[in-house]
Amino acid sequence: MKYFVTVAGREVEVIVDGDQVTVDGRQVAAHLVHFPGTPLVQLSLEGRRYPLAVAGRDDDGWRLVDHGAVREVNAVDERTRHIRSLVGQVSGVAGGGVVKAPMPGMVVKLLVEVGQRVAAGDGLLLLEAMKMENELKAPGDGVVESISTTVGQAVEKGEVLVRLAALPSD
Amino acid sequence: MPLQRVLIANRGEIALRIVRACRDEGIASVAVHSDADARAPFVRAADLAVRIGPAAPAESYLRIETLIEAAHASGADAVHPGYGFLAERAAFARAVEEAGLVWIGPPSSAIEAMGDKTSARRLMAAAGVPIVPGAVAAMTDPEEARAMAEQLGYPVLVKAAAGGGGKGMRVVHAPGDLAEALRAAAREAQKAFGDDAVYLEKFIEAPRHVEIQILADARRTVHLGERECSIQRRHQKLVEEAPSIAVDAALRERMGAAAVAAAAAVGYRGAGTCEFLLAADGAFYFLEMNTRIQVEHPVTELVHGVDLVREQLRIAGGETMQVPDGVRHPNGWAIECRITSEDPANGLLPSTGTITWMSVPSGPHVRWDAGIEVGSEVTLHYDSMLAKLIVSGETRTAAIEAMRRALDELVIVGVATNLPFHRALMRDPDFIRGEIDIQFLERRPDLLEAATDEDSLLRLAVTAALLEDERRGSRRISSLPGQAAASVSRWREVARTDGHR
Repeated sequence: MKYFVTVAGREVEVIVDGDQVTVDGRQVAAHLVHFPGTPLVQLSLEGRRYPLAVAGRDDDGWRLVDHGAVREVNAVDERTRHIRSLVGQVSGVAGGGVVKAPMPGMVVKLLVEVGQRVAAGDGLLLLEAMKMENELKAPGDGVVESISTTVGQAVEKGEVLVRLAALPSD
Repeated sequence: MPLQRVLIANRGEIALRIVRACRDEGIASVAVHSDADARAPFVRAADLAVRIGPAAPAESYLRIETLIEAAHASGADAVHPGYGFLAERAAFARAVEEAGLVWIGPPSSAIEAMGDKTSARRLMAAAGVPIVPGAVAAMTDPEEARAMAEQLGYPVLVKAAAGGGGKGMRVVHAPGDLAEALRAAAREAQKAFGDDAVYLEKFIEAPRHVEIQILADARRTVHLGERECSIQRRHQKLVEEAPSIAVDAALRERMGAAAVAAAAAVGYRGAGTCEFLLAADGAFYFLEMNTRIQVEHPVTELVHGVDLVREQLRIAGGETMQVPDGVRHPNGWAIECRITSEDPANGLLPSTGTITWMSVPSGPHVRWDAGIEVGSEVTLHYDSMLAKLIVSGETRTAAIEAMRRALDELVIVGVATNLPFHRALMRDPDFIRGEIDIQFLERRPDLLEAATDEDSLLRLAVTAALLEDERRGSRRISSLPGQAAASVSRWREVARTDGHR
């Protein structure tokens, strides 16, 4: 079976046929060993052995722990990939964007107003979590289109807080 | 009189550390816990446990009256505050003393004297301890602050008068940013310490953070050398070591004498730490005194062969400390890595979840002080520090090698951690050479980021493809090398067939 694997924005083609593994057209010796009762796996790759752990799996793919880091790795077959490409997410307007809460927390201060122009890196609001204030910054230049939170509000991870529109071209 | 039963007014790894010290001393321990911590390792380990309220610290670990009631109800004769929470709250020490209980820490007067950073600076200056130039009084008027900042010269540091741990602290490089920094620092200080007083001092560029451990009983005050804690992010220590590569025997004695003088000036008793900034030219400045046991105390324990928490218990019980007289030299080297639930792939913001698996390092020279275990839930209610990994070695190089090995063995599944940072740091040439100062991580944000090299890309891609292939059942899972687990794939067959019905 042929899989398209996406790691950190890079796509790699991996063909698995029994013990034969081909990565981007190059045949490699690869083998995975599980350890019952644990999420640990050991990858043998070209004669070297690597410890990894499988933290979970969801619609976004596999969550693997590798060298201490938690990585999201998406592996899909050709058909799934084709369907996804048809649905395709239209990427945000250049300069615009949506700022979501990167973690659960409490909004302690709004630093911008609707209609305000912001440059990439400008602070938009202060979110408090674990007793520390964290400044959420504008991902790009733009105009604040809407603010969907208020000071004192508890927000969940992934909640949309601020929408930025692209700068009007003048 | 030796202590009989100690109530531990804290949680997590330090509560467990104190339970262990009590057990070694033959003293009974009483854990207090919020609802969120009812099944925590420190609660299970203690001899007795008392519920003190809901998860929010303000409704549990910070409630003085509830804690005193718990002490009485459990028959405790002493209270150990740990670090954080109420450890440096003089009002808590006083409440404990007034309740007829023994406070395992310095007298409330010493906490008070050192707790207000501005009065501490005045006291230290009077005692001949070198301090960083700056305001000796809290700043409330922005105009007054502006004038003071001009006089000191930018950059200046805005600090919470009641502060610690980096909360309520801001570096200001230009006059235009001063007003907002004062406001933000006051807000954070109010939230963290219930006191919004802030003050200003000259910002010393690129110093090392070197601190001296103090121990005082009724008879004498001694120092147990230094710890270097220069590896910090936003004033939060991440890696500590003892001794410091920048401190020789002569400097150690000079800094030690200053710390002993500082402790003596406030009538100190028990374990405490004087924090200093050590400038590149060898000058050192008193920062503050932490009137409690510190997170990083184990590195001192490993190189000086002492048990600081047991000494705290002995001193509070009126016994003499077991540290010999005379000059003490560190034996070997120790390093501590703070393992936190800060996610490198998400700007080091806190990550939450349930720990589903841990492989804990062991073997020679390794110590693991943790507040978590498999099944523990990591929430946003408490500090993000999950555990401390501490190693020792004959030399700094040997300790770094031991830490690399221990970090390789450590696996935590269920919550993202700062493990990749520690792994990268222990391989970094500048760190290995000891070329560090408190701005090290500001210059090296790369160490804190999630890096993806070609090797890891290949590893992850192949692993995910093999896992996906196994999941689809087109390939058998082998649970042991060379041994095909036929039964597993049979069950999978059945599951798949069922699924298609």
